[in-house]
Amino acid sequence: MAQLPYLDNAPVNLTSLRDQSQKELITILKNIRGKKCLVIDQKLGGSLSLIIQSSLLKEHGVELRHLAPEPIQTDCTKVIYLLRAQLDLMKFISSHIQSDIAKGIQREYYLYFVPRRSVACEKILEEEKVHHLLVVGEYPLYMVPMDEDVLSFELDLAYRECQVDGDTSALWHIAKAIHKLEFSFGVIPNVRAKGRASVRVADILSSMQAEEAVNSADMGVPEINTLILLDREVDMVTPMCSQLTYEGLVDEFLHVNNGSVELDASIMGVQQEGKKIKVPLNSSDKLFKEIRDLNFEVVVQVLRQKATSMKQDYREMTTTTQTVSELKDFVKKLNSLPEMTRHINLAQHLSTFTSKPSFLGRLDMEHTIVEAQSYDICFEYIEEMIHKQEPLVNVLRLLILFSVTNTGLPKKHFDYLRRELLHSYGFEHMATLNNLEKAGLLKKQESKSNWLTIKRALQLVVDDIDTANPNDIAYVFSGYAPLSIRLVQQAIRSGWRPIEEILKTLPGPHSEIKRGGFSSSPSFDALPGVPASADKVADGRRSLVLVVFIGGVTFAEISALRFLSAQEGMAYDLIVGTTKIVSGHTLAETFIEKSG
Amino acid sequence: MASVSVAAEWQLLYSRYYRKPELYQMQWKHIDLSRNKVACAPLGGPIAIIRDDSKIVQLYAESALRKLRIYNSAGLHLSDTVWKHPGGRLVGMSWTEDQTLVCIVQDGTVYKYNIHCDLIEPNISMGKECFEQSVVDCVFWGNGVVCITESNQLFCIPDFANPQPCKLADPNLEEFPLCMAVIEPQYTMSGNVEVLVGVADHVLLVEEDGIQQVGDGIGPVQKMVVSRNGKLLALFTHDGRLLVVSTDFSKIIFEYNCESALPPEQLAWCGMDSVLLYWDDMLLMVGPYGDPVRYIYDEPTVLIPECDGVRILSNTIMEFLQRVPDSTVSIFKIGSTSPAALLYDALDHFDRRSSKADENLRLIRSSLPEAVEACIDAAGHEFDVSRQRTLLRAASYGQTFCSQFQRDRLQEICKTLRVLNAVRHHEIGIPLSIQQYKVLTPSVLVGRLINSHNHLLALRISEYLGMNQEVVIMHWACTKITASLSIPDAALLEVLLDKLRLCKGISYAAVASHADRNGRRKLAAMLVEHEPRSYKQVPLLLSIGEEDTALMKASESGDTDLVYLVLFHIWQKRPALEFFGTIQARPLARDLFISYARCCNHEFLKDFFLSTGQLQDVAFLLWKESWELGNNPMASRGSPLHGPRIKLIEKAQSLFTETKEHHFESKAAEEHAKLLRLQHELEVTTKQAIFVDSSISDTIRTCIVLGNHRAAMKVRTEFKVSEKRWYWLKVFALATIRDWDALEKFSKEKRPPIGYRPFVEACIDADEKGEALKYIPKLSDPRERAESYARIGMAKEAAEAASQAKDGELLGRLKLTFAQNTAASSIFDTLRDRLSFQGMS
Repeated sequence: MAQLPYLDNAPVNLTSLRDQSQKELITILKNIRGKKCLVIDQKLGGSLSLIIQSSLLKEHGVELRHLAPEPIQTDCTKVIYLLRAQLDLMKFISSHIQSDIAKGIQREYYLYFVPRRSVACEKILEEEKVHHLLVVGEYPLYMVPMDEDVLSFELDLAYRECQVDGDTSALWHIAKAIHKLEFSFGVIPNVRAKGRASVRVADILSSMQAEEAVNSADMGVPEINTLILLDREVDMVTPMCSQLTYEGLVDEFLHVNNGSVELDASIMGVQQEGKKIKVPLNSSDKLFKEIRDLNFEVVVQVLRQKATSMKQDYREMTTTTQTVSELKDFVKKLNSLPEMTRHINLAQHLSTFTSKPSFLGRLDMEHTIVEAQSYDICFEYIEEMIHKQEPLVNVLRLLILFSVTNTGLPKKHFDYLRRELLHSYGFEHMATLNNLEKAGLLKKQESKSNWLTIKRALQLVVDDIDTANPNDIAYVFSGYAPLSIRLVQQAIRSGWRPIEEILKTLPGPHSEIKRGGFSSSPSFDALPGVPASADKVADGRRSLVLVVFIGGVTFAEISALRFLSAQEGMAYDLIVGTTKIVSGHTLAETFIEKSG
Repeated sequence: MASVSVAAEWQLLYSRYYRKPELYQMQWKHIDLSRNKVACAPLGGPIAIIRDDSKIVQLYAESALRKLRIYNSAGLHLSDTVWKHPGGRLVGMSWTEDQTLVCIVQDGTVYKYNIHCDLIEPNISMGKECFEQSVVDCVFWGNGVVCITESNQLFCIPDFANPQPCKLADPNLEEFPLCMAVIEPQYTMSGNVEVLVGVADHVLLVEEDGIQQVGDGIGPVQKMVVSRNGKLLALFTHDGRLLVVSTDFSKIIFEYNCESALPPEQLAWCGMDSVLLYWDDMLLMVGPYGDPVRYIYDEPTVLIPECDGVRILSNTIMEFLQRVPDSTVSIFKIGSTSPAALLYDALDHFDRRSSKADENLRLIRSSLPEAVEACIDAAGHEFDVSRQRTLLRAASYGQTFCSQFQRDRLQEICKTLRVLNAVRHHEIGIPLSIQQYKVLTPSVLVGRLINSHNHLLALRISEYLGMNQEVVIMHWACTKITASLSIPDAALLEVLLDKLRLCKGISYAAVASHADRNGRRKLAAMLVEHEPRSYKQVPLLLSIGEEDTALMKASESGDTDLVYLVLFHIWQKRPALEFFGTIQARPLARDLFISYARCCNHEFLKDFFLSTGQLQDVAFLLWKESWELGNNPMASRGSPLHGPRIKLIEKAQSLFTETKEHHFESKAAEEHAKLLRLQHELEVTTKQAIFVDSSISDTIRTCIVLGNHRAAMKVRTEFKVSEKRWYWLKVFALATIRDWDALEKFSKEKRPPIGYRPFVEACIDADEKGEALKYIPKLSDPRERAESYARIGMAKEAAEAASQAKDGELLGRLKLTFAQNTAASSIFDTLRDRLSFQGMS
């Protein structure tokens, strides 16, 4: 089965975090004796696969099922539901139990909420008159390490819930998760937030610290020095653009799910018709770690180089006489062969997509929109997409990009495009449009757009990009530097103050807080703007910045952050926290109402 | 020498010394133990006294009212209450482990009192049979009781913390037993209580589910008592013998013939080494060997067994009879030359500035650590403060000459002694020995102190021992509230806050909820304001009826679960309209309510939207419902059930119209209804259920694919489909059915409004190069032409078109496309060179 991500190189001890979660789950299972059927919802299943191997579950007498409307078929007399505390999942439980009752099956039911019990969910169970049949508990899984520098809070719908439904449960969850981190790694002394949700999370975090203080006295120096919170709302431009890093492209075309991608076996050179195989994508794969963050153009070259050099080695091996140590080196190189073939296959498969004129046309259009110089061309392009009935998600991505960079569309165009959209894709999408409007992603223009100012001030468009030897984060989008990462760059370097004017033009407030009473190393107090060397923690480790994206982050942005922290003169390691790893596709999808 | 006087007070029982220091002069006046029932709690606990109603009342000597009085161990009056319970004679009374006084009366009712003589409700009943048969006698142990009724049935409450009376096996007795004793559940094999009943000439062992005859031939037993560890049993037989046997009667440990056959009034174990027998004026201590020790008393006494001795309570004093600890013996025994005794002596010399001090020390140099240890140990066992001090000084003196000695031992014992001396003070009256203190544990001691309202001492002790003070302050605050009915809220709040601030992280909510239970709602509200933890604060605010504050606090906390909690509470409590008003004012609560109701209660949600005038939201709901109706398998396609769907949509439309800003939505709903009608008609005429729920564009495509151009045209005009879209749709539809002739005809109808690109794309997508070639030349933009040629692999034509466009970048890209084809790529190279040359000139 799939392996758990390799975390030993993480800048903080993420392994202990994962072990803790694993132990908590095992404890739950152990406390319910005998054989049992564990029912989990699909999404949670994905998250759990990053926490625990399924073989370990089986060792504890677990029969694993996914939550579905149909009644559960099992011989076990004990059924454990392990579900996210989501209202719409509750009706499945009640229908299962009622069907068991009708059939006269007697079972013990346990319900464990992830991450905690929910009054609203239990209310539903009460109204369905099944609550008293359930033993209710909780499994406090607030975050999942995806990789050695990425933590996910596994909140797929956070962005939509906050922006459209006004349900801010996710914010409490995020604050709680960070607070939990602080219990392990110490109170984070500097907090910088931009965006409504981020500032709120910072507030909740402060009140959590007041309610249940992390005892900083017995913690020593906090391991994480700075927390940067950023709303996705602040930058909806970046995720709507097509990612051009290797990992980003894989996600765009093949959809990375919980650190792996599912493909037809034939693509990976395995001759088994129609069979799917799962390819894990994380930093345990050394080659992948090397190339994941590169622009795809460069990846192809790197792979070619590697293949050539290997071929050369092989030739030398067959023709000349070798010493034993040379032989050993060669064999060592051979060990990386499976990884090489894997990525060559994958890259080849990707290039069938990237060479399509439609993709190139789309990239052109994205750049044109971001440049914000030729309104009419963009408008007509989108209009034509709708007329051609291209996949709705693709249309919405460009439409959102278009609307956001223009701070909305003129009323005439707004109504026209919406009408064409309804006519082409069906009236059920009235709700979709309504969602987008509520979230401010597709709206009527009410004020002049300040995108040009922002673009210029933060140098978002960089013309001469050498993708092979990049000197700026703009390489991840071949010339567009993600706004979000520019902000992070500023926040790390000098705090918000120098860019306050620009921040005001972006959605939501911003805040900068200092927390905790740290008498220890004075270098922390002098954080902003001091020379890099002063920021080093006493024992020589680099200090650590946690960047949290509320509403999701794309692979390309993570790559850009990794690029930043690898720069010379950068005294920080970066670690990313996110509600979920997203792409423009998955993000746009959350707004589509499936009422039809 | 000072030590002589110490040992002079000891008595020798065979080889062991016993001493009987006086703990207290009793503070009480005019108490005659012989006229009262007395219950003394072990471990230095309180004493409960009530007049024995089986004894004659002296006229004038005491009040006719019967009072239950509680004293501390020094006889200091703590509380009293008038005893006026029905149910007959008081059969027995005893203290449980948590210092509750339990009193059993004849009808089997158990009354419970705390140390302040407050009756703790509810009373416990021993059951119907006890009520009918009436209880005659009972035996208590730690936390339980066994009682016997007039019909010689045994009943038991194993644990007062969880009082569930149960009946034991019927011992089938013909006459009332001579005596009873209990082996505690923790010492039995079964884990249930075992009762030993002395009948005729043997003993019965009664359990819940059986009886067993033991101790045959022992003869009629008059009195018996089980040792503290449940292993030994002391029996007094009718012929004046004292027997000590193991509780399973397997062997007799020793036997002693008393001078009198009259059974003693009291029989008790003193530690594990000796047994005490008490007759009217004499206390006899019997050990396994040697002559017993006799003590004469001219007043009645009560024996209180402890783990390391027996406390002896008389009318005027309380004493503690214990074996002299070995360390004390080694120091004070007359003529002792043990290192400890020499060390003690050395200190004496040192104080008198005699050089013999040094001589003594030299003598014991090698065994100094053990001497120090003995002095420390002896100090710990001492009740007399000045003697503690001398012993500790001796220890400290010796310690200075020891290189490797655990120095914290001395500190630790000092700490312990300070605590012990503090609680031994007669005002507090808890005469714990050091061993008892260890059994009791400091936290239980603190608990007892706060129960008897010695909060300050409890606070000081927990502070001194580094324990959490929260318990003490919390209890103090609650007690203070209960006791301060006359102090106004604001003043009391100040007093409370002043102390609560001492302890970080204390639960203000818990104090507030106590205030609320005491009917001080306003104080509760003021207190809960100070609770930092919202998850404690909010539920309490709800319980004291402060819903609006609760809603505010919950929203501020950001914890949506709390908001839901308040939401459901208010929802249940208030009429709908008022509820709507409340949540409308709070966006988070409102949005959460909407999310919940959207999932489970549409009708109520509509009521809400109507009440707040959000008609458009009602409309969206109705519209959504129309889809659900469509998905319902009952509403099968083509049936008249489309009627209700359309009605819902039309209702939504009219609601949209009522609000000014939703013109677009209203129009869309209108079109949707129209579309459904039209699709329904189409399904009827074509007899194919493929139209309903597809979009307008799809409907047009389907019509064209079916060859029904008139219908397609009709849909187009009905919905005013633009020329542009119409061309895309028709071209793609014709390409789908590969009707190339029709496509060509369509291209010639008139000059297409969006050019020939749709035609080219459709043909290329369908992989029809030949068809595509018909339209490519007609493309007006050379760049498009170039790309189209390239897509069908015509490099030369592509190159020509690109060079027309004068677009170097395009040429480069096309070259890449033809990378494999060397001939083609060379064409591009030459062309690009030409282009750049042109650009330069």
